[in-house]
Amino acid sequence: MRNIQAVMQRELLALFCSPIGYIVIAGFLLITGVSVWWTDTFAPGKPATLREVFFWTPWILTVIVPAISMRMLSEEYRSGTIESLMTAPVSDFQMVLGKYLAALVFYLIMLATTLLYVVLMGVYGNPDWGATAATYLGLVLIGALFSAFSVFASSLTANQVVAWILGWVPLLLFACLAFFVVRQVEGVWRQVFQQVNVIGRFDDFSKGLITTDGITFFVAATALFVFLTVKVVESRRWR
Amino acid sequence: MIEVRNLSKYYGNRAAVDDISFDVQAGEIVGFLGPNGAGKTTTLRILTCYMPATSGSAKVAGHDVLTESMQVRSAVGYLPESVPLYHEMRVREYLRFRGKLRGLDRAAREAAIARVTNKCWLRDVIDRPIGQLSKGYRQRVGLADALLHNPKVLVLDEPTVGLDPTQIRETRSLIRALAADHTVILSSHILPEVEATCQRIIIIHNGKLVAQGTPEELRERITGETNLIVEVRGPQAAVADHVRKLGGVTDVQAATHDGWCRLTVAARRDVREDVFQLAVAQQWPLRELRREVASLEDFFVKIVAGARAHDGPAARD
Repeated sequence: MRNIQAVMQRELLALFCSPIGYIVIAGFLLITGVSVWWTDTFAPGKPATLREVFFWTPWILTVIVPAISMRMLSEEYRSGTIESLMTAPVSDFQMVLGKYLAALVFYLIMLATTLLYVVLMGVYGNPDWGATAATYLGLVLIGALFSAFSVFASSLTANQVVAWILGWVPLLLFACLAFFVVRQVEGVWRQVFQQVNVIGRFDDFSKGLITTDGITFFVAATALFVFLTVKVVESRRWR
Repeated sequence: MIEVRNLSKYYGNRAAVDDISFDVQAGEIVGFLGPNGAGKTTTLRILTCYMPATSGSAKVAGHDVLTESMQVRSAVGYLPESVPLYHEMRVREYLRFRGKLRGLDRAAREAAIARVTNKCWLRDVIDRPIGQLSKGYRQRVGLADALLHNPKVLVLDEPTVGLDPTQIRETRSLIRALAADHTVILSSHILPEVEATCQRIIIIHNGKLVAQGTPEELRERITGETNLIVEVRGPQAAVADHVRKLGGVTDVQAATHDGWCRLTVAARRDVREDVFQLAVAQQWPLRELRREVASLEDFFVKIVAGARAHDGPAARD
């Protein structure tokens, strides 16, 4: 437990000591801020909900979340620090989990800044608190899954930029475009894309619909990518 | 303290380490010597549980490196060759992080940091970011990290590479001082370094162990080929002829410079007295007469050359 915490703290320190952490938060806030304005969410007479703002958030997250964790393992490989980490009394699982949790905590901090919009909505209107809470639950689950996938992408290469691309391209293709593809295909493929349709699943949450199916999907997929990352890190020892 | 049995490591078809066995006793400083690419780093990486061996076994501090990896890692302090450090962290932050990974609680951690800061002369830079430090200081931070948990075994991969002469001397004396409480295994491709710090030397070449022993033992193995340097004033042909006739002399090489005849004499026994008597009898002034003690360097070069010649025909098959 202490090992996981030590690795997590170091990763958070690295994120907040380097410009990348601030650039990512600033970029995220800028884009969500623009979408608040673009969707006229605070216009008089509109329903007091942030649904339109957050509809686009998963698209933004596909690009932004991989940027948070792109250096987590790739930089360790490149600089060789992986050697001192893997010869310390820390299991590969503890190391990966510590890094993953750092990515998740950073994401949650970033997400927490958008609570300002909720507060404003509460001041000027009477939003549906249940649906808002469900939306945030959905955002947390999406972030958890995207972070796990991004850490996995980072474990595949020693190059940060490659790790970033390996992170956002599959996320964009499978998680987000599935939203459109699912209506175009039939049969087995339809079922497959229905399952990985992250935007569709998130849409349920933003309607205030929390399903066991949805939670299970996000938790299981997150666990899968954390597990795969551990296996990739382990396999490097044998090469 | 360290037991290595028939250890091999293959990268694809290439053997980086080929059937190596050796032991290191507690409190010893052992030097791992070999040309670049001989398999030193690979062996040390197996001992520190960074990578598993292809075959064979290794035990460190009584634990197997494969099955009891965590116990081995707790008992070992390792300074990798490239001294990998997180450049964005300050020295103190880095040592705290490493202390946490080593399972030291807050009080023990701060005490350990104070101890290694003193030992590795880091007090001036303790609050500076590692990225700003010079190579010498980074090396010391790496060493401080390896010493942090007071390990039974210290594994140092090329500990003085990239340091300036003063720092090399300081590091050597530090390593010697550490031997009181730790077993040390260090690698190097620089012979004088190993000779100056280690009690025992293990020479490997092309992944194979070619020789091991104390520096004296290794030197003894070649004393039979000691050369004698003689300088007398006399006619070169006559001088060489007379010396060649002395008992036990196998080879004489002569050269004349400014009237002085310089001979390099290979002999099976000590012929210094005979040479002196000869010079007196012939009335040749004698201005130099000394034994050229074979250095470990010669031995190393010979060993490596021998191993190459040995490998030659096999490689052609």
